[in-house]
Amino acid sequence: MTDRQLNRVHGSVRQYEVFARKLRAEPLKLIGTVVAPDDDLAAAYARATYDEERWIEMAIVPRDSMTTLWAPGEDAE
Amino acid sequence: MSLPGLVLSLADNKQLLGLRYAEWATRAPSLEADIAAAAMGLDDLGHSRVLYGCLEPLGEDPRGPERESDPGANRALPYFDRPWTSWPQFVAANAVLDTAFTVMIEACVEGDVEVLRTRLRKMLSEERYHFLHGRSWLKSGIDEEPLLDAWCQAVEWFGPPDGDVAELHKQGALSRGPGELVARLEERLERTAPRLEIDWSGWDPERRRGRPGTIDERTFGMLRGLEEKRFYPAGA
Repeated sequence: MTDRQLNRVHGSVRQYEVFARKLRAEPLKLIGTVVAPDDDLAAAYARATYDEERWIEMAIVPRDSMTTLWAPGEDAE
Repeated sequence: MSLPGLVLSLADNKQLLGLRYAEWATRAPSLEADIAAAAMGLDDLGHSRVLYGCLEPLGEDPRGPERESDPGANRALPYFDRPWTSWPQFVAANAVLDTAFTVMIEACVEGDVEVLRTRLRKMLSEERYHFLHGRSWLKSGIDEEPLLDAWCQAVEWFGPPDGDVAELHKQGALSRGPGELVARLEERLERTAPRLEIDWSGWDPERRRGRPGTIDERTFGMLRGLEEKRFYPAGA
């Protein structure tokens, strides 16, 4: 998604990855993304969009806070 | 007004807030905001049902037969009389009025009436996301007019300094009186209420509003359609 598309409503937005799990024994897994100008709205959007299942935990992480080791098409070394 | 009267006002307002939110489920500025409007609408409609369900255990259900035919018997605020025509109206209601209702729910949960202490607690965790949504959009900046209107109606809804809410606070049913509720609302929204000069002489203590008026006919018809008796078997 381009920056222009992401910034369609607010002046500046970030993409957030949404993680959740249903059982304590499970690891958190990526369930989707939301786009928002701040953490507050991202939390509200994540809860509204992905609350259809009985998650015991949900967390959001700004995409630009994640450190990419390698991306599709790149070598691992 | 009695505690059941206040709870009925809260229920009617939550119901109308939920309906007005839902009307924006396809009109908000982004898909995420559409979904949030729908989710918050469902939450508030659910909260209103829980609140209506508290009336009987409280020992008095103030709902009379006039609610079937008279839109003026509904106790919602003027802010909900008509569908909102602009997104800033949505944001002002979401940030100020929804939070005002939450602040009152907090006061009920922290009060000494058992049925309210237990049944309303879960609402507070759901309302956290309404609050985050409203506060974030409020920070992005909206027109002053709907914001001022929402503040004015929130303060009116809490009631006069020496009114029923003050009395319920004294009795222990509510943990906060009107002035403390306004202060709590300001604290949560991280902003001071605008200077308001409210003429309490024209305030309707039952509907908790200073302005006359009723919800629009279409909305009233829809509310009547939501009544469970619609699903009763014929002749029951």
